[in-house]
Amino acid sequence: MQWWCSAQGTRWTWEWRPYPGVWLLMLLIAVTYYRLTHGASAAHRHQTAAGWCGIVCLWLALDWPLGALAAGYLASAHAVQFLLIAMIAAPLLLVGIRPSAPRTIPTAGMGAALLGVATHPVMAAVFFNVVTITTHVTGVVDTLMVSQWGAFAIDALWLLSALCFWWPTIVPVPVRPRFHTLWQILYLFLGTLFHTAIAMVMLITDLPLYRVYELAPPMTGLSSLEDLHIAGGIMELAGAGIMLGIITWRFFRWANRLERDDRRTLSLPAR
Amino acid sequence: MRMSIPRLVVPDSNATPATRVRYLPVVGLLLLAACGTATEGGVRTLHGVALPHPIPRPSFVLRDTRGERYDFRARTAGQLTLFFFGYTHCPDVCPVHLANIEAGLERLPYTDRQRIRVVFVTTDPARDTPTVIRQWLDAFDPAFIGLSGTEAEVDTLQTRLGLGAAIRSPATAGGSYTVGHATQVFAFEADDSARVVYPFGTRQADWVHDLPLLLHRPLSR
Repeated sequence: MQWWCSAQGTRWTWEWRPYPGVWLLMLLIAVTYYRLTHGASAAHRHQTAAGWCGIVCLWLALDWPLGALAAGYLASAHAVQFLLIAMIAAPLLLVGIRPSAPRTIPTAGMGAALLGVATHPVMAAVFFNVVTITTHVTGVVDTLMVSQWGAFAIDALWLLSALCFWWPTIVPVPVRPRFHTLWQILYLFLGTLFHTAIAMVMLITDLPLYRVYELAPPMTGLSSLEDLHIAGGIMELAGAGIMLGIITWRFFRWANRLERDDRRTLSLPAR
Repeated sequence: MRMSIPRLVVPDSNATPATRVRYLPVVGLLLLAACGTATEGGVRTLHGVALPHPIPRPSFVLRDTRGERYDFRARTAGQLTLFFFGYTHCPDVCPVHLANIEAGLERLPYTDRQRIRVVFVTTDPARDTPTVIRQWLDAFDPAFIGLSGTEAEVDTLQTRLGLGAAIRSPATAGGSYTVGHATQVFAFEADDSARVVYPFGTRQADWVHDLPLLLHRPLSR
């Protein structure tokens, strides 16, 4: 029995397979999330629910069938997995802990110092992009995806780097008074440019990039090159769509807040 | 995964001293960008695995997908022929091999592609009727040639080429079974000898690199 999804080179079947390592990790994350959010007020129940949705997304990304498909069969599944982990699950998890963060996240001591460094916008952006680029290099993918520890390392790095990347734009602790909304929007936009570049490379290549997917037992009518192009399209379109959607929402929320403040200042009636 | 067995060396007959000097900057940039193209002193190496000694093009007659006799040696003499054993129910090796070969062929000029033959011999004649083989090969390339014979004929042919005979697993309750078979593709060149084979794991980039070399390199007879 495998404990984590990795490339096995065997023919794909739709027969369910257990991956206990995924379950253990999800249990750990769920327990940690519960401890961090327990006691949150009813007013924040939507945010707490968003966090649980993030946990479900993470589980879907890591466990059978998507985890297994992504590990050793389809580059397009690998792209979906990356988006689920880095662009959906990670920010949702942070939205969930946001209300209780001032109460539960350490603000002093070694932990706070480490958190401050890891979630500093520059450090977080560099960490996230270095991980994104490195984990898409052909040699790295072909070397790591064939072992359980290697595949686990890639998945864990995606989650960890994404949490660091999204943290300064979602969680109010550590306090960063100069990192206001417009800077955050620019940070989100620039922080995902490398991911877009990787997607473009996948889209325009005329030879398969990854040995693990090129030599995988075929399971669809698609060629390995077509599958890779689809992976690039998913990363490009869905990734850009998610990011632009978040940026747009953040911008209009900031603009609405400015307008409310202006109206209050000028003693104008609310719209 | 590249095999660590010594590579076959192909002399680069197009390069002259004057040409090398003129195009040095361009070549330098290309060398920086090239991945997987080993160039040592103007000599390019094939990505296939060199055989310890050349294997002559075998002489045998089997049935093609029209049910007609196919004399392999006579019909492919003097042509670059990619030859391998497999079966249509193969879950991994055979479809990947054929797909990658086809991808390599697609990148050749039409005239070069017409000079190459791909011949597939089934190791599962019980299930692989000529019609089944034809339908399966057509999914890759209608020009691929499929041959079938009796189990004894195919096993003998494999043995003559230094391969083990195919091994059929016991049938499951549903009647399906797998056939273990040699996975290398022999490249019989214009001089009717094979000096290099391509094991499973040969990628499209390897075929794109090697097919023009196999087609155009000078051969010593």
